[in-house]
Amino acid sequence: MRLTFAMFVARLAGWASHTLLGKSGETIAGRVLLVLCPNAISQLSTGRKIILVSATNGKTSTTRALAGFMSTAGSVTSSKSGSNLARGVASALMTESEYAVLEVDELHLPFVVDATKPKAVLLLNLTRDQLHRMHEVKRVADRWKEMASKSGATFIADIDDPFLNYVLASASNNVRVSFGGMAGRHPDGAVCPSCGAYLDWDGGIYSCKCGLTNQVSDKKFSAESAAMRNQILANITAEYFGVPWHEVDLSTLERKASKKFINADCSIRLTKNPASWREALAGVESEKVILILNSREVDGIDTSWLWDVDFSGLRGKHVVVTGERGLDLAYRLHIQGVIAELAPDFDSATAKFAGPVEVLAAYTAFFELVG
Amino acid sequence: MKIIRIHNELLGTYGDRGNADVLAFRAGLAGVTAHIIDVSYREMIPTDGDIYLLGGAEDAAQVLSCTALKGFDFKNRVVLAVCAGFQILGNSYFANGVKQVGLGVIDMETIPGSSRFVGDIKVHSDLLNIELTGFENHGGQTNLAYGITPLGRVITGHGNGAGGVDGAVVGNIFGTYLHGAVLARNPEFADLLLERALGNELPRVNDPLADEYAKYRRSII
Repeated sequence: MRLTFAMFVARLAGWASHTLLGKSGETIAGRVLLVLCPNAISQLSTGRKIILVSATNGKTSTTRALAGFMSTAGSVTSSKSGSNLARGVASALMTESEYAVLEVDELHLPFVVDATKPKAVLLLNLTRDQLHRMHEVKRVADRWKEMASKSGATFIADIDDPFLNYVLASASNNVRVSFGGMAGRHPDGAVCPSCGAYLDWDGGIYSCKCGLTNQVSDKKFSAESAAMRNQILANITAEYFGVPWHEVDLSTLERKASKKFINADCSIRLTKNPASWREALAGVESEKVILILNSREVDGIDTSWLWDVDFSGLRGKHVVVTGERGLDLAYRLHIQGVIAELAPDFDSATAKFAGPVEVLAAYTAFFELVG
Repeated sequence: MKIIRIHNELLGTYGDRGNADVLAFRAGLAGVTAHIIDVSYREMIPTDGDIYLLGGAEDAAQVLSCTALKGFDFKNRVVLAVCAGFQILGNSYFANGVKQVGLGVIDMETIPGSSRFVGDIKVHSDLLNIELTGFENHGGQTNLAYGITPLGRVITGHGNGAGGVDGAVVGNIFGTYLHGAVLARNPEFADLLLERALGNELPRVNDPLADEYAKYRRSII
């Protein structure tokens, strides 16, 4: 009864926010629902097949792909883009369906696993991100490990990431997937998360004397990019529910958008932490590049990580830098011998170009441009 | 000039590797050829370095690095140690919830702080007579022994979390909680380390972008 009333008010709030304020209405609906009925998430999860997706990078696009795969098996509810805190989960669950495929923030995952009792949890990767909020990678991994030990869900993860391998070791049901190692060592993986010993890497292969290794897995694939890994991991998760394998256009698994600004045809890619900047920089093909750096809460308020990313691949290209922390980035590039112009805003940055331009945009900048 | 970047795979969580890059770049502008030498956990620390750099880390990595550095003599060397790297130079520090024996290079001890100190930080350095800016992110409170000189007096932020100061200076050994990287945000500090390493005054380093960046950060924190 309480839930029914709470959902009525939440929907009304969402409708008002959407109609009167022109917002999505998702956040406010979920927020109102949880205030009026604090255990709404667990009530709305009862009797449904819940699949959760979490990671440092790729949650939104992989959740979208997986929701698409699952829709061939039954009705599916999924998260609205990037709405991955408890209120977003609550809001998504208000829509009735057989399956719910939900993206969840790393720090909120233990709570959501406990509340939704998912059938499956897909973990893609865990690297440094928003250190002012997450503090340390190991801290997040420890929380996930405790969560996995108490959950009856099947945990599916890429164990080429030693932190995820560590988490899966305590899950009673798991599917350990390896792609034969990442391109190189995990950027935060110098220490074995399991025993604290120094972890020696042979390319992307690690093998600790405590037994933590990616040389032994349940499923083995090969993949050349994060997008391909995520596509395979989403398929393995869907397969667990009997859904046949789907091939997708890999570009849909990268947070990219195309938009024309005056004469510049921009291909805009979301970049939000060292790992996603490295992935994005490796994919830069154009000679014309715009980089946008902000440092609001979701971007990470500390820009020190710029020094942990190698920008040398941009040498010789026409590079323009902008954003609230454009000066930080311009100086970082300067030290690495990348000549870059600093533009006061995005419009003046695009005015310097005609034709195709690749844009790497910090989280908040990406959504301002793409909407 | 040899710049020794110690255990960056362990002490590289917070971008402090940039300190070496800035030192080498500014040395170059001053006409001094500098090489950065990365020394990993499995390797011996060279004794012929001109500047030694330690950076911030997570707990388990901090303990490994400290263990590997036991026996290395930091005395009479030019050293910049940041955050976790600064803590291990003391008599003791806490990691993984346990008190750990430090290298004893600086007379100080680090204990768990009242809360984690996260945010922009600005301190005044009496030695340089300028403000230094950076970003701090640590759970430790560092208590300097009587007579140990701090690097700066805290204007904004927490620094050591005790005594209203940040870091420590003992001879040519400098410790701080400032990330940023600290030498990127404070080129005067980079030049001081270069001068200490060269043993004489540095020819003037002209890098307007560095000055603009430092000035901007100082103006907004």
